[in-house]
Order: sequence, then C-alpha cells, then structure tokens
Amino acid sequence: MSTLKHKGKGPQSLTANLLREGLNVWLTPEFEWSHDFNEALLSEDSDIIEKMQAIGGRDSDANLVVGVYFIDVDIETGLPARYRERFRVNGPSYDTAFELKNTERKE
Amino acid sequence: MYRYDEFDHDIVQSRVKQFRGQVERRLSGAISENEFKPLRLMNGLYLQLHAYMLRVAVPYGTLNAKQMRQLAMIADKYDRGYGHITTRQNIQFNWPELMDVPDILQDLADVEMHAFQTSGNCIRNVTSDPYAGATDEEIEDPRPTAELLRQWSTMHPEFTYLPRKFKIAVTASKTDRAVIRAHDIGLEIVRNEKGEIGYHVIVGGGLGRTPIIGVTLRAFLPRAELLPFLEATMRVYNRSGRRDNKYKARIKILVQETGIETFSKQVEAEYARLVPSEIAVTEAEVKRITDYFKGPDFEIINDGDVAYQAALETDKDFAFWVDNNVAAHKVSGYAIANISLKVSGRAPGDIASGQMRAIADLADAYSFGEIRTTHQQNLILPHVKKSDLPALFQGLKSENLAGGNIGLITDIICCPGMDFCALATARSIPLSQAITERFDDPVRQRAIGDMQIKISGCINACGHHHVGHIGILGLEKAGVEFYQIKIGGDASEDAAIGDVTGPGFSYDETVDAIERLVDYYIGIKCEGERFIDSYRRLGMTPFKEVLYGG
Ligand code: SF4
Repeated sequence: MSTLKHKGKGPQSLTANLLREGLNVWLTPEFEWSHDFNEALLSEDSDIIEKMQAIGGRDSDANLVVGVYFIDVDIETGLPARYRERFRVNGPSYDTAFELKNTERKE
Repeated sequence: MYRYDEFDHDIVQSRVKQFRGQVERRLSGAISENEFKPLRLMNGLYLQLHAYMLRVAVPYGTLNAKQMRQLAMIADKYDRGYGHITTRQNIQFNWPELMDVPDILQDLADVEMHAFQTSGNCIRNVTSDPYAGATDEEIEDPRPTAELLRQWSTMHPEFTYLPRKFKIAVTASKTDRAVIRAHDIGLEIVRNEKGEIGYHVIVGGGLGRTPIIGVTLRAFLPRAELLPFLEATMRVYNRSGRRDNKYKARIKILVQETGIETFSKQVEAEYARLVPSEIAVTEAEVKRITDYFKGPDFEIINDGDVAYQAALETDKDFAFWVDNNVAAHKVSGYAIANISLKVSGRAPGDIASGQMRAIADLADAYSFGEIRTTHQQNLILPHVKKSDLPALFQGLKSENLAGGNIGLITDIICCPGMDFCALATARSIPLSQAITERFDDPVRQRAIGDMQIKISGCINACGHHHVGHIGILGLEKAGVEFYQIKIGGDASEDAAIGDVTGPGFSYDETVDAIERLVDYYIGIKCEGERFIDSYRRLGMTPFKEVLYGG
C-alpha cells in the first residue's frame, strides 16, 4: 500500500483515485468511496483513523483504488486545508468540457 | 509526407498488445501500482489531479487529416470531446479511463500514432519547426533529421533509463520557431564555408526550476556524424548525470557543473572511442527517410491571384488575419496558414472534436491533408494556395477559429496549471483568460505588436514563462495563489531568460500589473520597437517603477 501514514493535524479525510476510472474519491462513514467530498468521513479519533487507514490498504490491495493518502481538513470551513486538495474536491475551475456541454444544451 | 514503415507498424502494434496485457495484470492485481506506474508512463498515461491524462505523441508536430479525425473520434468516444495541444507539439486528453486506454492506443495505432516517449526518463518526442517543408527560410526540411532521431531514440536500450528526461529540437532556419536553445540538445541545420550541410549542436538548455540557455557543443558537425556524436554525448550524460537528486539530474546541470569546455572534451573523448560506422546510418538510409518528406505536388501558379487580392481589399477581417496569421511559403502562389487556438474564453491550446474534424476537412480541401501542431499551442495548415485563403478563412470563421492574434498579446502559452496538473501550485488557465479578455480589442493588440506572454502553474515551467517577453509563474502561499512576473525573456534565436521584476501579485492584481507594463511600453516605445526591444533598451528600472511605484 502506497498510503502516506497519517501524520496530519486536526480532522482527517482519506482520499485516493479509483484505479479503473482514475477519478478522485474520498472515504465515507460507511467505509465506501465517494466522488463527493461532502460525503467524506472526517475524523480526529485515532481508532477511526486507524480503521480508515486499514480500509485504504485493503481497497488498494484489492485494486479498487490507487494513491491513498490522508488530508488535513480545516475545522472551520470543513474543506481540505491545502489549496491543492481543495482543487481536487471542487474539480477544475475551468474545463473546455463545461463549455462544450453548454453549447450542446443550447443547440 | 512521412508514413510509418513496417518496423514502426510492428513495434506499435506489439506495444498496444503488451500494454493491454499490462493493464489486465494491473486490474487483476498480478502487478502492483509501483510496478505498473513506469509501464503506463512509458505509454504516455499519467495520473493527474483529478483523473488519468493520456499524452499522445505528434512527432515533430506533423499530422495528417485522417489522424486528426481519429483524434476527434477518441476525444468523443473516450474523453470529454476535446484535446489539448502541448508546448511539445503533442496532444493530450484530460479524462480517459484506464480501462479504455488499450483501445485508445489501438485506435491511435490504426492511424500510425502512439504515445511512446511522451513521458519517462527517455529521449522524448523530438520537436521541430512547424513551418518545416514550407518555409523558404530553411536550408532543408528539418524533419528527416527529426525522424532519424525518432527512429534512433525509440526504445533505445541504452537511453531508456536516463538520469532524467531528455528533449531534442531541430530547426533549419535562422528564425527559431522550436526554442532550440531551451532544449537538452538543440540542433540547428547550418551550412559551413564550403557549402556543406551539417549541424550546429547546442547543449544544456532547459527551463524548469533552473532555466539555462544552451551553449554550443559543436559549431559544425558533419551530417554523417550526427548519430555517433549524439550517442557519445548521451553516454557522457548517462554516465555522469546526477541520479542522486532529481532537481539536478538534467544535462544542463551537468554541463553547468562540469563547464562546457570540460564537458566538450569528455564528449570528444567518448566520441573518439566509438566506432562511428556502427552507429551512423548510410547515405542510402538518409535518402530513404528524406524521400518520405518530398512534399506534395505543388502547382505552378503565379503570386498575383486576383480574387485573393480583391478579398484583401474588401474584407478587413480577412486582411487582418492574413497580416498576422499567414506566412510566406517557399513555393510561389502558396502560403503557410496559422490557426490560432487562443480563443477568448477557452483554455489556450484546447480544441473541440468538431473543430478537429473541421480542420481535417479544411486540410484535405486546401493543404494536401497536412496539419502541424506548434509549441505555441496553435495549429498550422502548411501548404495553402493563396487563392484558397479566403475560403479557408470563411471555413475557420464558422468554427470560431479565425482569430488573427498569432504572435500578439493574446497568443498566450499556458500550461494546464492547478485546474488539471498534479504538480501545480496555482492556476494558469483562468489568468490567461483574464488577460485575453482585458486585451480583447484587436486594434489594441495590433498596436502592442509582437508580444509573448507565457504562463506556468509551477516552477516546472511547462508554460515556458522563463522565455516569455512577459513570463508569469503561479505560486501559492498559505492557501492563496500569487503570481511572479518576469520580463525580458525570449524564445527566439536571440534566446534569453527573463528577469524577475520583484514580489509577486495576487490573482486579482496580476492583470492590472500586466496592463501597467504594456501601457508604459506603448507610451515610450520607439518606432518599430517591440516590448522586448524596449526592455532591452531601457532595462528593468522603469518597468519595475511602473509595477511597484517609485
Ligand atoms: S508548469 Fe507545473 S503546473 Fe504547469 S503543467 Fe508543468 S508541472 Fe503542471
């Protein structure tokens, strides 16, 4: 498992990419993976964090996800602390695909 | 025009089969991610910020209409309906799924394309002058040399695990449209006093976190010695390049730390040990490759087409487009047509599948089916009859591709930045869009004249910001992006690395800062002076004052 060992501060979330489709996912309280960070499990409890890490390892070994790691979450905003991780949560601020979708809709 | 020979065909087909097996083994767990990662990277497949990204090689930027249609098909079938032209003349897709990649590679192989050497520490896809075979400036078409290098470097067993990636560019014109001085090796095809054709070999250039302009390794290398001499150079690098520190592993650092004189001696000593005839190709082989690039059957036409002249006089938009986007062709009555992919509101270099198909049709109708990609993230139809330019312009207009901004302030090079790239520190695309919007007025753009703005979303400098007349580097501090501005860089034959102006600007301040620089330049420029010329004349001080106050 290529997991970054948890060594962050405050609440943690576990993230990865789905091996097959490549898209970003976050671990949910049901210990499943969601594309939506709003559904992510955020925890400071070391037992839960340990469990999250174990699930990450299990699903990595099962070839479901790849590149598992913990991220720090800002208590106040509930969003990832790091700028880069906020981008992973929100998706690109611009994608030509958005524009193409809008044109299709108009047509 | 070049076509793959039977060797390429077999290699590409077997590589697709091999990768299909590798993906199957990865999905079944027979190989781990650590084992799989280098294999996928060797096939151009990255895992980026949100998804996989597949980078497809466009050797020396040459494409045909059939290949372009296939790229459009791939964009629609497996991705999100568009592709992105990179600063190494390749095309990348931002959203493929791993499961589909073997099929994509097969679809590419069907039109003699692949994704080799678009990643990894190997000799990367060789780039060249996008005007190759069309411009009257060139000594000869540089693509046979680029092709020779492609064949030599493809899966070269000795150079597949270099200390770091290795980039080569080739030109044959004095005007440098391939940034050869910012490459690990830049080759300029030149003629010596005896009139013989050979190579000016430049080494140790590069951008990234340590930008360096390359220096001359050999002022004139006889043509027949190219491969043995490069092999000797690569061996010295492979042996002595630093493998202990990724940031110091490029050949530019080796050349800088060793000194060009010592480095050159090492190369010559290595060269003396080689048996050139074991590496060099025969004249017959060079001729065989060169024949592939013979060029289309141009008609004999005179330059004064009446309808074309009339269109220039009556259609202001067309005349403006011709003035900026059309370059002289080596054959009378023909022209090189640049197609701008710098469309207001769009990411620089992005092209929708419908536009790809339209360009393929236009290439078939007006340019012998030939298309080029440029490191400036634009496209070119290299062989258009002047009499066809009005029809081409109309065709481009209906696809929103008739922007007449080539070489102007809105023709911005911009890397994907934080919107897509896993390594980014800040966004670059929205900033390029904001600058484009600010300078949208074509009259104003023309008044500013030749201006190269280049934006990178991190220190890796894929957006070439070090060699922008104005270069912008996106950084981040405490969760907030900010932008460092450089001025005085130059990607041309007068290559120069820009100078940092001072502290960075917030996202919101950056466009205003650029506008202050531009307005100042407009106020002080002498007749015929470009922004870069004014900077060279006046130095940093007045520009700094304009940016930061007195
Ligand atoms: S410059 Fe940085 S952000 Fe831009 S593409 Fe390169 S690595 Fe990514």
